[in-house]
Amino acid sequence: MSGVQQALVAGQTNAGVRWRAWGGGLRGSEYSWAIAFTLPYAAVFLAFVAYPVVFGLWLGHSPELYSQLFDDPLYLNTVVNTILYVGIGVNVRMFLAFLISGFFMRREWWVRALFLAFILPWAMPALPTALSFHWLLNGQWGLFDNLLWFLFGVDGPIWLNSRWTALGSNIVAYIWKFMPFWTVIFLAGRMAIPQDLYEAADVDGATGYRRFAHVTFPLLANLYLICTLLSTIFTVGDFTTVYFVSGGGPAMSTDVLATLGIREAFTVGRPELGVAAVMTALPIVIPIVIFLMRKLSTTEVQL
Amino acid sequence: MVRMSRRSVLTSSVGLTVAGLARPHIANAQAKTASVWVNQGFVPQEDAAFKKLAADYMKESGNTLDYSIMPFQAQNQKTIAALASGDVPDLVFMDAPGTILPQNAWNNKIVDVSDVVQPYEHLLTDTAKLASTFYDKTLRKRSYFLCPIKQGATPFHVWGDLVEKAGFKISDVPNTWNARWDFFKPMQKILRAKGMRKIYALGLEVETVGPNDGNNLYIHTMIANGGVGIVTSDGKLHTDDPKVREAAIKTVEYLSTAFKEGFVPPEALSWNDADDNNGFHERLFLVDFDGTISTELAMYSNKDAYNKMVTLGMPHGNDGKPVPCQVNAGGGFIPKGAKNVTVAKDLMKYWMQPKVMGENLKAGLGRWAPAITQIVKDDPWWLDKSDEHRSTYIREAVLEPTTAVFTGYTPAWGQVEAEQILQQSTADVVKNGMTATAAVDKMFKRANDIFARFTFE
Repeated sequence: MSGVQQALVAGQTNAGVRWRAWGGGLRGSEYSWAIAFTLPYAAVFLAFVAYPVVFGLWLGHSPELYSQLFDDPLYLNTVVNTILYVGIGVNVRMFLAFLISGFFMRREWWVRALFLAFILPWAMPALPTALSFHWLLNGQWGLFDNLLWFLFGVDGPIWLNSRWTALGSNIVAYIWKFMPFWTVIFLAGRMAIPQDLYEAADVDGATGYRRFAHVTFPLLANLYLICTLLSTIFTVGDFTTVYFVSGGGPAMSTDVLATLGIREAFTVGRPELGVAAVMTALPIVIPIVIFLMRKLSTTEVQL
Repeated sequence: MVRMSRRSVLTSSVGLTVAGLARPHIANAQAKTASVWVNQGFVPQEDAAFKKLAADYMKESGNTLDYSIMPFQAQNQKTIAALASGDVPDLVFMDAPGTILPQNAWNNKIVDVSDVVQPYEHLLTDTAKLASTFYDKTLRKRSYFLCPIKQGATPFHVWGDLVEKAGFKISDVPNTWNARWDFFKPMQKILRAKGMRKIYALGLEVETVGPNDGNNLYIHTMIANGGVGIVTSDGKLHTDDPKVREAAIKTVEYLSTAFKEGFVPPEALSWNDADDNNGFHERLFLVDFDGTISTELAMYSNKDAYNKMVTLGMPHGNDGKPVPCQVNAGGGFIPKGAKNVTVAKDLMKYWMQPKVMGENLKAGLGRWAPAITQIVKDDPWWLDKSDEHRSTYIREAVLEPTTAVFTGYTPAWGQVEAEQILQQSTADVVKNGMTATAAVDKMFKRANDIFARFTFE
């Protein structure tokens, strides 16, 4: 075989290798099967995910919308509320979930029974949960203030009449609703830690806090970070809790970007402005997503 | 066992994909079928009345109505989404289309229904006509975009038995705006001394969460203080009118003072649409001012409670002169892009017939007043004094002075109301320590910014 012929054969072989690599290493009939099984999913994804997202982005593309948004005196307030809601809600929730997951590692029967009660708020649908919380806070017939009157003879505060107590109520309701889910995640993470690591730590004389600091925490740190980032993304888009607990009130002082978007879209009747309101969160959400994707492709754990 | 070949799976997969994305073909069904979205009534009788009307129409016309009855908020969201996406039903029937209709008529997204309304124009009330016409900026003309069927007014709702328990008489209720509210204030202390620990005198809807009650109360208080000219039928805002400014300041002063003096439940600032109704039914307060007689009809099956309530019409203004009650119009509108405009218009022509309109609204327990005055005069049921709630309400909505809601004049007012800036001015005094003058100035500035976006040329 001449050199040219050898080169041609080599080129074809390389092309074939590149083609197989592009096709995920599939050959011939395997490729056809893959297409056959992927096509319906791709069609559904394009129709029900890609198209609505692109349409939404198109709705909110005009710079004039952002000018109107920034002119609204409530917008800056809403951004501050969102930062507080996400910052405090996510961090307090993740920290508590992390701690409580340690408690639920215990084997006693009453701990397991308590666990079932603990996850109930998460298991219930979000809307009745948030509504229940709203009713608990009512100054006239709500449980909290009536308990205060019954036990101590004092009239409780009107929780939803002040911006800060209303915002605090939204944060507490959100933590109460979603903490069980993250507790379960951390519990699963703890259960995946090999016992022989703890036995080795025992041999080295590490107990209590030192076991936590040198075994548990390093092994769960990555999980904690990823969960925190995921939770941040979810919380930025949370609408149900704020809408049904405080309603964004009093006087729209506890609106977050998600509720502002819904209000602009369906109360003011301008869906394009609602999309624009939510899109102003993208400069925060996109970097988090990128960082999350990079983090998911790492890393070793150093004990 | 069936052997699946690669070819058969691939064929099936492609077939499944195409079938899933394709639209179903119904031969000739579009020619005579109209999709209709109807908002759910407050009482089941309203829905039953619509279903009967639909069945009668389908029998008479041979057309088919593919209708969905849905709660108001859900219908609002669906309709807005449909108009944004272009995938619209043939007819939307709404009790209060104030958020959607003015704006979308402005943007040329609603079908002109003048050909449906004009044959009945001489029968309709002036306010029904005004509340059904909107300005189309593309065509530069005002036209009928709503086929009006019903009108809604706002009466006072009072627990008559509690008034008596406090040692007062309903017959002594004053007939001027502020004095009427003030009449109930001393009863709060008396009733609390009698064991009703959490009762308040006034259910003033100073809410800022929306959608309508807070705006409704604010505007009527302004009207009672001489501020009815804040928006005129040419769509202009008159915040520079000293009379309007004075009325707004007096409104904010009265509402905020009543709140600060403790005559209003503190929660009222955060009430949503249902909370004031719930509060009234819980006997949290003695009196409120709320649209239609839904408050009473919610207790229709509980005759004891129904009879304890008292419905009062509009009092005079604070200057002692009669003032109009603001009245909206509910009915059907047809989005552009509807596939069967012919059937949709045919249905509305059928529904607007006085006999059909009257029977339909009567079957709904008279929660809504007819858009045609003669119906009320011809059928003694509407003004039958054996039901004081209905007769008072109908008299207020149809026979006494009324004025149309401002959303018919300009979509800008719809946005003003949607942003809840009216009652925000009250909240600014109560929560943020502003003076009434400063709060009104802030509110007027925002209103002017909104109005500046809607220019009639």
